Amino acid sequence: MNWQGELNKYLASAYKNWLISRRNVFTLFELFFWPMISLLSIGLLTRFLKVDSSMVSFLLVGAIALTILQVAQIDVAYVLLFDMWSKSIKNTFIAPINSYHLVFGAMLFGILRGSVVFFILAMVSRYLFGFNFQDGGLLPLLIFLAGVFSTAAVIGITVCISILTFGQKADVAAWSLSGMILLISGIYYPVEVLPQLLQTLARAIPLTYFLEYYRSVFIPGPHNLAIGVFLAVFYLVLGLILLDGAIERARRTGILLRLSE
Amino acid sequence: MTEKPIKAAGICKTYKGFLGSSATVLHDISLEIEEGEIFGLLGPNGSGKTTLISIFSTLIFPERGSLSILGMDARRHNKEIRKFINISTAKPNFPWSLTVRENLRYYGMLYGLHGSALSRTVEDQMDAFELGEFRDMKFENLSTGLKQRLSLAKAMLNQPRLLFLDEPTTGLDPDISIKTRMLIKRIHQEQNISVVLSTHYMPEAEMLCDRIAFLRKGRIVAMDTPRNLKRHLGLGERIVVTYEGSVDIAALQGLPGVLAIKSERDRLEIVIDRVEDSLDRIVKLFCAARILNITVREPDLEDVFLELAR
Repeated sequence: MNWQGELNKYLASAYKNWLISRRNVFTLFELFFWPMISLLSIGLLTRFLKVDSSMVSFLLVGAIALTILQVAQIDVAYVLLFDMWSKSIKNTFIAPINSYHLVFGAMLFGILRGSVVFFILAMVSRYLFGFNFQDGGLLPLLIFLAGVFSTAAVIGITVCISILTFGQKADVAAWSLSGMILLISGIYYPVEVLPQLLQTLARAIPLTYFLEYYRSVFIPGPHNLAIGVFLAVFYLVLGLILLDGAIERARRTGILLRLSE
Repeated sequence: MTEKPIKAAGICKTYKGFLGSSATVLHDISLEIEEGEIFGLLGPNGSGKTTLISIFSTLIFPERGSLSILGMDARRHNKEIRKFINISTAKPNFPWSLTVRENLRYYGMLYGLHGSALSRTVEDQMDAFELGEFRDMKFENLSTGLKQRLSLAKAMLNQPRLLFLDEPTTGLDPDISIKTRMLIKRIHQEQNISVVLSTHYMPEAEMLCDRIAFLRKGRIVAMDTPRNLKRHLGLGERIVVTYEGSVDIAALQGLPGVLAIKSERDRLEIVIDRVEDSLDRIVKLFCAARILNITVREPDLEDVFLELAR
């Protein structure tokens, strides 16, 4: 097969997610309503608490990171969730594709949607709360966004693995995993305030390092970006291997058929 | 290419439950399918047809046994095999909010089609399956018959060498069923592909299949051409006589070649192995009665099915 055919296998998931999203009015809630609620509530809290500008940047970076993480991770999870909800998973897995075709295609669309949300939230945070993301420079911003999107991909892959392992009920994982991230990876507070066990867990999440890195641009402080990059790549590769294993297992156990019934 | 499309030996499949329970749905299935034939899998509900077709199409893997699809090991080369096969299932499902054209484009992309080849293939399939006027209709708004046609169109996107049709006419109105069968026949004739078709409709199997395997409780209980199956099971032909008056049934039973007699008031059903040898002698035994109607019927697959499903 030539490269265009191979490329289209990747783009297929992005194409499907785009078509389904554009016909779903609730996409507007995912893209605008909840992100705005999240940003405005945190931004207004900073005013009420009369925190200084460095603390505003700390909290808004966290709020925006969590929001685009949620948008992008659900796009990766949607690649199987849409198939599961429409009971068409059989048709996807009869095609000659690999797990990475599905994940990267969906991730592409997730990055697109996440970037739109980021752009809107960055504008709002600039004009309403005086925090300008451009002040940190373009390269740190791109590194930060890459970290958020790669963490989102890992969460999305984990949801897909859960669906293929535990069946329909596992779609709840799609909504709860980002809650775990909110709790332990230093979205609204430094991980140092967490109990030791949770700190250890936080240190295993790439987003923790990308948040520390990007915040250090505005509030000088230590960071360990290299570990974050290593973890992100490691989890992505591991996630794809485990997803392949989950697909193989689903073919063995027959769960692929049950998800289509 | 000379490999047999399917060579299966000793296929077993067990589904395991969460609490250690298990159910074996296929036992020691062995069969070979010839290039270009339509092979039917028949059996009552729960006999294992869908599981077997899912194994052949690499959607699920068997527990035991060896399986070669198009000359490749089904377990080791399942991704390679999937380039050359496709499936259309009963009660087909596709992403609900995608239109006919979008669904075909999406699945075409999964098969690596691109550019003008993708557009052309999608158009060709919509033409072939008379879906053109419904191209912009969402899947959720299609009738059952149109959904089935879309499923068949999707199954032909990659021009498969081996096509699996899992109960393709289940739930369709009779006229749509007939149309779908004609469509399957046409695809097979035009493209000379090998087809494995599961069904529990006897006329469908009789009309379409070159050979048939009967499944019962996960085992193949008979496998042959429809004609040979009927002959080998010794089902005989049926003479049904409606009459007035009296008939010596004991004398009828004593006639050579008479296999069984079913008597109901003024109606007799006589099962006989060769009608032409005994018809005149049977008619003579009705001399004291008045024959109102007499019909002779060859056994059909329905009879084979009832015999084997017992």
